[in-house]
Amino acid sequence: MSDAMIEIHGLRKRFGKQQVLDGVDLTVPTGSIFGFLGLNGAGKTTTISILLGLMKANEGTCSVAGVDPEKDPVEVRRRIGYMAENQTMYGWMRVQEIIDWCGGFYPTWDTGFAMDLCRQMGLSADAKVGTLSKGQSSKLALILALAHRPKLVILDDPVLGLDPLARRDFLRDVIGQLQARDVTVFFSSHLLYEIEPICDYVAILHQGKIVACDTVDALRERVRCVELHTPDAAALRNVPTLLDVRVEGNRTLATVADYGIAKDALTRLGANGSFDDGLNLDEIFEAYVAGRKEVAA
Amino acid sequence: MSIRLSASSAVPIYRQIVDQVSQQIASGRLKPGDRLPSVREMARALPANQNTVLKAYEMLERDGLIERRHGDGTFIAEGGSPLRLSERRRRIADALTQAVVLARHYRLSDDEVRRALDEQLTHFPKATQE
Repeated sequence: MSDAMIEIHGLRKRFGKQQVLDGVDLTVPTGSIFGFLGLNGAGKTTTISILLGLMKANEGTCSVAGVDPEKDPVEVRRRIGYMAENQTMYGWMRVQEIIDWCGGFYPTWDTGFAMDLCRQMGLSADAKVGTLSKGQSSKLALILALAHRPKLVILDDPVLGLDPLARRDFLRDVIGQLQARDVTVFFSSHLLYEIEPICDYVAILHQGKIVACDTVDALRERVRCVELHTPDAAALRNVPTLLDVRVEGNRTLATVADYGIAKDALTRLGANGSFDDGLNLDEIFEAYVAGRKEVAA
Repeated sequence: MSIRLSASSAVPIYRQIVDQVSQQIASGRLKPGDRLPSVREMARALPANQNTVLKAYEMLERDGLIERRHGDGTFIAEGGSPLRLSERRRRIADALTQAVVLARHYRLSDDEVRRALDEQLTHFPKATQE
């Protein structure tokens, strides 16, 4: 097996006239915690559905845990753990019952392990699923995704709708239970600042393409905001890797995707380096998905 | 041991961990010989990626602030900062820049800034070594 847990090449998906995925390429290294970011409606869930074999792409290839989900969707779902956005579960079942019931679908199901996880995460085996809080339900969904001991876990917006404490709790469980077990975690979210500390890698999906994919540290290192003296629109257009230009009063701020490559061009435009600034992940995301490269006249 | 991460900061997470551990050593909250949580414990507590915590610990170890004893754990190192004098000066200059920028915004006089600095210097007792 290669050292990539997920490989996606040239993935395209159209719904009617809408081209949702327009050539997605992505490699998720084995053992990494990988944050898949994008605005609402960017195509995160569509991508995940294709990875799970729940939906067919119009073009492109995927390999998930060594399996092609289009050819063998059952085998893919057997190999990975999956937690859906707003997952619904039978409210009348007890925690123990739903664990046993789900176990029927997986030959490698480990009920003892699931019960251990319940204890560690503070879930009572007797509790009725319908009476669990949203945070507890997310924990249960995570346990159900893990109990067959998959090497890859795909979580679709797992912290959506959780309060801040439950989100923190959940992310702790992801770190404590998954990273320690050397499981690859691929998860989508749009709550950047919360997932940033736990990710090794992030990819940003925008307008059907991956516009950035890197380690969090490398992204913070290369994406920079620089102050220029002259808002020379024509010259700015030639700055390599330009993402965004803003004029604020008599300052012109240019954000570039790769400071190392753009530095010389920026220096020629009067950047003196004194205000070159690192950005947080929110600002980096914003530059990629909402950046404007033209100076307003 | 309390570390608080601010993910909205432009300061990378590993840097925040390094800065806060260094600060707590400087202020005496962490003392030589004190045990730090393992990478795993720290990662879970924050929560932060284990690789990020590991990177922070490696930087702290390289700077001589902590030492990892095999099979025993991670401890605050004995002795002062082994950082080059130039590096120590650079870090202090960075911190002072922020204070001076604020002072200019708030239109504080240079004398007021100097007084404030003197006050801070008397607040923190000098380290016993050096």
